[in-house]
Amino acid sequence: MEMIVVAPSAPGRIEDLRRRFFARPLQALLSLVSLATMVFLAWKLLNWAIFSAVFTTSGGPEACQAAAGACWSVIAARWRIILFGLYPFEEQWRSALACVAVVVMTVLSCIPAFWTGRRIALVWGVGTALYYVLMKGGMLGLAYVGEEAWGGLALTLFIFVTTCLIGFPLAICLALLRRSELPWISHTTGLIIDGVRSLPLISILFTFAVVLPFALPQWLAGDKLYRVIIGSALFFSAYQAEIVRGGMQGVPKGQEEAAMALGMSYWQRIGRILLPQAMRNALPATINQFVISFKETSLVVIVGFFEILASGNAAYGTGEWRFAYVEVYAFIAFIYFVFVFSLSRYGAFLERRMSVGER
Amino acid sequence: MSSLLRNQKVRNALLQLLYVGSIAALVLAGVAIARQNLAEQGITSGFDFLSKSTGWDVNFSLLPATANDPYWWFFLIGIINTLFLGSVGLMLATIVGTIVGLARTSSNELARLLGRTYVDIFRNIPLILQVFFWYAVITHLPTPRSAYEAWGMLLTSRGLYVPVPNVGGPAMTLAIFALIAAIALPVWLGRTSRLSQPIGERLAIQLAGAAAALAGAAIILAIGRLPDLPLVDFPALQGLNLKGGLRIPPEFSALAIAIAIYGGSYIAEIVRGGFKAVGKGQMEAALSLGLSPWRVFTLVRLPLALRAMLPILANQYVWLIKATTMGIAVGFTDFFMIVALTINHSGQTLEAIGILMAGFLTINLSLAAVFNRINKAIALKGNQLRG
Amino acid sequence: MNSTQSPGAAVRIENLDKYYGSFHALRKINLSVERGERIVVCGPSGSGKSTMIRCINRLEQHNGGRITVLGTELNDDVGNIDGIRREVGMVFQHFNLFPHMTVLENCMLAPMIVRKQPRAEAEATARRYLEKVRIPEQAMKFPGQLSGGQQQRVAIARALCMQPQIMLFDEPTSALDPEMIAEVLDVMVTLASEGMTMICVTHEMGFARRVADRVIFMDGGEIVEEAPPEEFFTSSRNERTRQFLSQVLGH
Repeated sequence: MEMIVVAPSAPGRIEDLRRRFFARPLQALLSLVSLATMVFLAWKLLNWAIFSAVFTTSGGPEACQAAAGACWSVIAARWRIILFGLYPFEEQWRSALACVAVVVMTVLSCIPAFWTGRRIALVWGVGTALYYVLMKGGMLGLAYVGEEAWGGLALTLFIFVTTCLIGFPLAICLALLRRSELPWISHTTGLIIDGVRSLPLISILFTFAVVLPFALPQWLAGDKLYRVIIGSALFFSAYQAEIVRGGMQGVPKGQEEAAMALGMSYWQRIGRILLPQAMRNALPATINQFVISFKETSLVVIVGFFEILASGNAAYGTGEWRFAYVEVYAFIAFIYFVFVFSLSRYGAFLERRMSVGER
Repeated sequence: MSSLLRNQKVRNALLQLLYVGSIAALVLAGVAIARQNLAEQGITSGFDFLSKSTGWDVNFSLLPATANDPYWWFFLIGIINTLFLGSVGLMLATIVGTIVGLARTSSNELARLLGRTYVDIFRNIPLILQVFFWYAVITHLPTPRSAYEAWGMLLTSRGLYVPVPNVGGPAMTLAIFALIAAIALPVWLGRTSRLSQPIGERLAIQLAGAAAALAGAAIILAIGRLPDLPLVDFPALQGLNLKGGLRIPPEFSALAIAIAIYGGSYIAEIVRGGFKAVGKGQMEAALSLGLSPWRVFTLVRLPLALRAMLPILANQYVWLIKATTMGIAVGFTDFFMIVALTINHSGQTLEAIGILMAGFLTINLSLAAVFNRINKAIALKGNQLRG
Repeated sequence: MNSTQSPGAAVRIENLDKYYGSFHALRKINLSVERGERIVVCGPSGSGKSTMIRCINRLEQHNGGRITVLGTELNDDVGNIDGIRREVGMVFQHFNLFPHMTVLENCMLAPMIVRKQPRAEAEATARRYLEKVRIPEQAMKFPGQLSGGQQQRVAIARALCMQPQIMLFDEPTSALDPEMIAEVLDVMVTLASEGMTMICVTHEMGFARRVADRVIFMDGGEIVEEAPPEEFFTSSRNERTRQFLSQVLGH
């Protein structure tokens, strides 16, 4: 009896595997090649990153360099400069706290309960203000630290957050102007948006950092950091404006007509009827744009900011850790990966949920 | 007055005037202030500087360049460098993207997993970080004395040295065109409207076309070879330095590799999306007509998928061309870096920025025009895919 | 402002012209609607009937002639346009309810932000009108959760919440399944019996016969015929009208 019970199930599993991976000769070959590649890469990676790696700083750089695997001691020795840049050592807890504030703010804005214009503005306003006070100090008993000393991950996050904070409302304005019924307004705005979109971000950052001071009166030029943030926000808004406009086009014309027929003014129609629906339509593409924008924040390294990439270069570029560049880049890549991957997964999740909701 | 302001037409006219006027005023004021500021530094505005010699050099150029050459020549070199790096990057990224994309749409779960891992990792790490990484890897390679050697190529911290044929410049150019033709001919011949032969015989004609073009390239090289030199110039160590062959500098390789890997992860997703867009119905119809799986792929699935992915691919290509501006991070003299250097050395800020904008506008518009033509040429007539 | 018109006229249209590019959509339309009057406008599709009533609250801008609504001329004056829209309610073919708000919020929004009513008052009004259109129990649902007939009744309630003096209906039953048409028409009949000034574009000839004071037949951007329903349906003199009626009523 037992034989009869067991017999069909065991070949069943093998049969299943055979059908899934070895049904045809070509299929079998593909399976084997894929499997071999995977095992090989996984083994190489694990061996390098964990089994043969050095994790402590006790042996110093020399012992580390001699090891066959990764030399994680460079991170142990230099993590503070990567995360916080040249921020004063005793004050670095503030920088860490500021980063936490930004992360909490991002997580909060992913919760649907916060998706009303007022609440999202409140969360971002409070989050950014908290960041700014913590980093800059000069009040509440915190020592003053100027922007020139900000760096590392904290600076990257600041540039990203302020880019979005300025860029997002700007994007909505540009989208509204572009869909205006008044031809001169819509054409001029279209020209600005398309012009910015056709330029590489680096050239815009460079223009704002280096060229703009010539074209502005002295009192308006301001700090280089804020000029670059405005440039990056302009770039962000040109792309986001098209996404918002796409969302607006998805709102049926009858919606605005109904609002008009009820006697609502232009701003009431925009604020109460058009935007809430347009933003919903545009949500997946918006999150995607945030993801791209976060990755592009790294470009400010080119106009001379000490953000996480530059601080990473500095972390291995000086003295005894020169050989450990792979480990430093892997560490920074991992930080980016955590942020970007979770955000894009979240975007994919939302997209799925919304497409289910439409059915 | 107040009744005038309540008039819709008056209001609209005023609003437009105010908007366009203030933007124009902003731009004009900026230009005026900039001209004044630059004039105080002794820089006269105008495009006269274009014909002055630069006094500095570029580290990578397909055309001859010295510090005595004028600015306009350097701008041209910059644009050609950008386009060259762009097209090499695009080509590599497309190859990587197609392979990974096919893996992602494969019926084999292991291949799909592999493709997905690739995309998830490389899409989520900023391009510039990948550029820095590959640049560091290449510049940490062994010195020329202990270079890696394979197939006559040398891999060193100073770049990749590859063997080149010893032929004159014009012959080389012609040969490159012939090689491009070898790839393009089969595609061009494959267009159904040009061939009345049955599909089975088409392949032979396509292969014949490619072979003819390749033979042409070989003949051109044989005729154009330089006298008294071996046909192929291999790089070799001489003293502390490498002589011979063609040196591909680390800046270029790092950018090309990074663009290929990063762009490949995006193109893979476009390829996957294209295949997903092909309706199940079409495939089932083809299979039920008794076509072999390979025929179904080449005759039905691939052509339909290509049409679906092309518009998105065009955007991606434009993005990748713009990404070449990251050259400045590792010191590759692309168009943007030439502009930045010009501003540094000559101070002709406004003019250089103007040239930069005009350059990228031209590149973008021409790429868009090319893709629009292709799109139109292959577009399905009417709404064949509806319903 | 132009208050020299007869005080009784709710809507007065004189020599109205409307073009879409070079297409002449409305040709010299003349129509006067008294307060409390119920007008049904019919005609083949493309005859300009929707365009005409959309001109009355400026969803379309007319190119010639004058429109006077409740003694106020509809011209480029922004104040006049806003004022007229407050007093003229409209019901659309595709309901155009706001999908991101509940039924109750749909009804409360305009009274609160346009008429500046306090929330409690707006809610009381909204509930009263939802009662009137016989769906008080759906107040907390979203439009997407309702049937077409229910949505259209909400749309009527939403327009009524602004307490308009004139109601425009733009083919209110054309997008509905046959079994839902009656419930919407019932509400409209009730409304008519209460003395609301109504201009309805519709093909529901039964409704026209029952409630209309006048039936207007349009074709090719012109008013072809204008008559009380009895006369219109039984003894029309016009060839085009008779042809249209035979198509609508014939089978």
